[in-house]
Amino acid sequence: MMKIGIPRGLLYYNYQTFIDSFFYELGCEIIYSENTNKTILDNGVKYCVDEACLPIKVFHGHVYSLREKSDMIFIPRIMRLYKNEFICPKFCGLPEMVKNSIPNLPPVIQDTLYADSKTVLKKWAFSIGEKITNDRRKIENAFSISLKKHKDSKKGIRDKNYKINVALSGHPYNIYDNFLNMNVIKKLNRLNVGVITEEKLNEEYINRQVLNLYKKPFWTFARNTYGFTTYLAENSLVDGIIYISSFACGIDSVVIELIKDRIGNFPFLILKIDEHTGEAGFDTRIEAFVDMIERRKGIEDNISASW
Amino acid sequence: MKITFPHLGNVYFAAKALFDELGIEYVVPPLSNKEALEIGTLYSPEEICLPFKIMIGNYIKSIENGADTIIITGSCGPCRFGEYCELQMNILKKLNKNVDFIVMDVPSDIGIKEIFNRVGKISSNSSKSKKEKIKALVKALKIINMIDEIEADAHYIAGYEKNSGDSKRLLNKCKRDAINSKSADEMINILSEYKRKINFIEIDKERKPLKIAIIGEIYTIIEPFSNLYIEDKLMDYGVSSKRTLSPSWWVKNTALSPLKINSLDIKKASKRYLSLCIGGHARECVGEAVIAKNEGFDGAIQIFPMGCMPEIVSKAILPTVSKDLNIPIMSLIVDEMTGEAGYITRIEAFIDLLERRRKSVLFRS
Ligand code: SF4
Ligand code: SF4
Repeated sequence: MMKIGIPRGLLYYNYQTFIDSFFYELGCEIIYSENTNKTILDNGVKYCVDEACLPIKVFHGHVYSLREKSDMIFIPRIMRLYKNEFICPKFCGLPEMVKNSIPNLPPVIQDTLYADSKTVLKKWAFSIGEKITNDRRKIENAFSISLKKHKDSKKGIRDKNYKINVALSGHPYNIYDNFLNMNVIKKLNRLNVGVITEEKLNEEYINRQVLNLYKKPFWTFARNTYGFTTYLAENSLVDGIIYISSFACGIDSVVIELIKDRIGNFPFLILKIDEHTGEAGFDTRIEAFVDMIERRKGIEDNISASW
Repeated sequence: MKITFPHLGNVYFAAKALFDELGIEYVVPPLSNKEALEIGTLYSPEEICLPFKIMIGNYIKSIENGADTIIITGSCGPCRFGEYCELQMNILKKLNKNVDFIVMDVPSDIGIKEIFNRVGKISSNSSKSKKEKIKALVKALKIINMIDEIEADAHYIAGYEKNSGDSKRLLNKCKRDAINSKSADEMINILSEYKRKINFIEIDKERKPLKIAIIGEIYTIIEPFSNLYIEDKLMDYGVSSKRTLSPSWWVKNTALSPLKINSLDIKKASKRYLSLCIGGHARECVGEAVIAKNEGFDGAIQIFPMGCMPEIVSKAILPTVSKDLNIPIMSLIVDEMTGEAGYITRIEAFIDLLERRRKSVLFRS
């Protein structure tokens, strides 16, 4: 059985249901990299170009760990998720970055994906499937099952019954990789803070928010995060915004400014992560932010009580 | 309306000529310098790339000199450059600078109607006839081509000149004279004169100078202040240098790209290593490294601003190119903190390395 190595990094967090199911239906043995850990991070830092952002480095670490265990490694080149939008130049050049940085890799599945229509997506799935089986019916089947599973899968987080709630924003791999973000969700929950993520907000609202901009953001990440955070802030649906961002992320450097411009003094905490981020300082900043929100809420409650 | 624009290499020559011809008022910002960078760094988001900061410095200096309208070119991704305008508008607004922005996006993104609309905003300020306007544009294009050519010649000849410093002196004088011209025609005459003169620099054909290609992110390789005047330094060392990306290259590339016949040589050369456009000029960077080898260059220097997304991808690829083709490539990363001393040391060390390689090759044969 063909062993397919799947790195658990970057957009794997968005499409894991599809990817898992697709290769399973094709009859592959799937070898996952472990959840991000110290070894993976260290190897990523070692093999990746110094100037890259943390998520890209970590991705290199995942690939490295699969190197000797798989017949092929899945590193798709994702160019686009929505019409006329982009993700990030580093995604477009991801297979090249990895192949030129890590020696002795097995063959890489790097088919280019423009995921803005179902036809294109299907073509892409076929070009991958054909590397594994000659049975086109099997591929067709695997594709439709996986797509359905993906559509039915639950995405995003929406905590209930917390006194304080924050919008947790940032790229999916920063939000869902608990090693990278030092378990930020657990930490918040422990402080009695619930989180909501952008998948839970109807896309319509997100798209309406960006209409105010001079230029429609051409990055999918930017449109989502901007729309999500500013909508929740303007409608007071949460008490604050926490943005997890990697150092040296070109997209975040722009989006954060745009958000700041729009929300005024709404509570906004930016947590920057890289391989040197210390957990103690990180925790202190979260606690201070939560304290601040509590104080604010206390004042507001007092005001409304005295009415 | 008083127009200004950010600096990008020799663009200001063409812009001056164009606005002179159109009879539109304009301000050329003082050449990018420390002050522009300091101002820009003060007002820009910390993590934004270097070109953004220097451009803000350019605008503010121009506004001090009376400019009220800023023209910039745009793009719609995937790189940050396309988002520059929005952030820059916000920054200037917060500083209470009352300026208009005219963003020249590519027609495929905003529609041809909007382009006419935006061009109309500029040209309605000119009392010239349509024919004269087109003539002005043609002259401006001619000028940018000429000055870029003269500059490229000077950079190349510097390796062969008999009297060290001749080509640099001539280039500097050429720029001084050209910018003091009163009209586009006068500027064209001056440039033709220097184009002729540069062929009379005494050269030593026997010399075999080191040849280095300058590759990387377009702004930082074209705008001399941002790369700490690397090309001037190479001229001083008697090294021949070549840089493919220039404002005139950009014009041609942009004009031809809808037909997909732009920069075919670069695309072909980069194919083995990076076959797609990933944003910025990463593909060009990789392709030029390959071409440099084919043209017999000794090495290549890649320059890009800290955090530049596309160039980080090319930086990951270049070591393979270097190994496969046996050509040394050095990456220099610049930002507002780049210290001149360390920077020069690295350039000198690279030149030493190339010289040693030459000698060892000679020795072996
Ligand atoms: S979007 Fe930002 S964090 Fe993600 S890969 Fe690109 S630069 Fe890195
Ligand atoms: S190419 Fe690099 S320097 Fe230019 S806008 Fe993009 S990230 Fe910034």
